Amino acid sequence: MIALQVDNLCVKADNRHLIENITFSVEEGRIIAIIGPNGAGKTTLIKAVLGLIPYETGTVSLFGQPFKNNHSDIKVGYVPQRLEFDRTIPLTVSELLGFTLPPLYSVPFLKKKGAREHIDGLLNIVGAQALARRSIGSLSGGELQRVMIAKAIVNDPKVLFLDEPASGVDIEGQERFHDLVKRLNREKGLTVILISHDLNVVYRYADNVLCMNRKLICKGRPEETLTDEVIKSMYGEMMGAYTHSCHEHD
Amino acid sequence: MISEFISYPFIQRALLASVMVGILCPFVGNFVVLRRMSFYSDAISHSAFAGIAAGALLGIDLSLSSIIVAVFIAVVIAFLSEKTGLSHDTVIGIAFSGAIAAGMLVMGMLKGYRTDMFTFLFGDILAITERDILMIFFVGMLTIIILLTFLKPFLQITFNRDLARVEGISVRFFEYLLFLIIAVVVTVSLKIIGMILVTSLLIVPAASAKNLASSMKRLFVYSCIFGVVSGVLGLAMSIYLDTSSGPTIVLVSIGIFFLTMIKRE
Ligand SMILES: Nc1ncnc2c1ncn2[C@@H]1O[C@H](COP(=O)(O)OP(=O)(O)OP(=O)(O)O)[C@@H](O)[C@H]1O
Ligand SMILES: [Mg+2]
Repeated sequence: MIALQVDNLCVKADNRHLIENITFSVEEGRIIAIIGPNGAGKTTLIKAVLGLIPYETGTVSLFGQPFKNNHSDIKVGYVPQRLEFDRTIPLTVSELLGFTLPPLYSVPFLKKKGAREHIDGLLNIVGAQALARRSIGSLSGGELQRVMIAKAIVNDPKVLFLDEPASGVDIEGQERFHDLVKRLNREKGLTVILISHDLNVVYRYADNVLCMNRKLICKGRPEETLTDEVIKSMYGEMMGAYTHSCHEHD
Repeated sequence: MISEFISYPFIQRALLASVMVGILCPFVGNFVVLRRMSFYSDAISHSAFAGIAAGALLGIDLSLSSIIVAVFIAVVIAFLSEKTGLSHDTVIGIAFSGAIAAGMLVMGMLKGYRTDMFTFLFGDILAITERDILMIFFVGMLTIIILLTFLKPFLQITFNRDLARVEGISVRFFEYLLFLIIAVVVTVSLKIIGMILVTSLLIVPAASAKNLASSMKRLFVYSCIFGVVSGVLGLAMSIYLDTSSGPTIVLVSIGIFFLTMIKRE
């Protein structure tokens, strides 16, 4: 089944196309990586797909249903590239995760059976168990990113949108996180849309890759798609030798 | 002496009112502080002035007319900021000055001196009637039930609107609802604390609580405690010192604020 179908998506700002005619689809249970240089429109694409910014033309559907502002029952998780929030907000990590936990319309702060364990378990998975009682504004960049990853999966989403989720996370954390994504993908059939600049990650984890620079450049399996030409055209000559060194490692 | 005072029904009503407003205003005020809406709250309370003037002119109940106008102004502000793309404070400034100007015009048309209008301007907790108490009670209960039921979406939106939207929360609906709730709470508290000072009862206890609290739960608990203490202590002091109740209550809450600043250091 097609989990995500995007057709002819165009986003404009100040009479300039930020992304143009992007069409792609993601099969359920697949991991797709989106790559492209800085300013290519990757974040714009994900935000438009999620209905967070308006798009000029195009359609987005999730499991066959039109997807706008996520009023469907299909849960999605999202880790933004840069999270903006008021750092002085008195809010602990476990409170934040608790607010995301269903049912949405219920009084928080009340001890609910299993909720505590569920949240602690999640924090454990992302290696943030020690942060449960910390105030969200006091976390370091990498710590916050771990918590946001836990928040994105707290209510068992079907599709996960990750915008450079591992940026700022240390090597141990990156490894742990990518393994976690892969595990959720394998065990729960989670569909993942992942923006990354790390081609190693793309080779190791993604079933498909989508290269873009405002327009779609190419898509397909990483080994077949990421040729020298493609990398060069996206990133310039400097990166030309990258794919070779990568194949040598593998 | 205390027991003698307490036996007066108007003192009992004043006490009850200060406890209720002391819980209600800071509870809502937490959102005003977290979302930086104190100018909005101020604008609403001052807009209620137009409602009071209009009520006096038309000879309808002043509480009712002030609520109607405050809610109307709230809707205008929400509508304008959505349609124009101007910043919130600009839109609030426009709606606010319009309401004040209209209120002043209407007031000029009134004949004679209306003391009950001044109750709304400066507040008079000792003039609270049983009907006022009932009104605050029902509005307060309703507000707190709505806020508690929707606390998760409200707080998610406060944390980050994009993430809230991805969770399937209708950000627009809840923001309108919050605008409305603040408008109603401000207006029902007018008679007690006065339109000039009512915003301070929303934000000062909440700000004091924010100085101390490390979690959302504590923020809500502390702010309500500070609100009730300010209300009751302020009322007692105003009776004892024979000062106006509204300003005394507000000064007590500001005293608490400075104490929490010291603690924070
Ligand atoms: N609201 C906006 N108005 C105008 N231009 C915008 C807006 N948001 C983004 N842009 C522009 O759109 C382009 C694409 O930005 P986007 O953040 O999608 O890139 P990206 O591929 O995610 O880059 P990075 O790798 O740095 O994260 C950039 O040139 C940016 O300046
Ligand atoms: Mg980006």
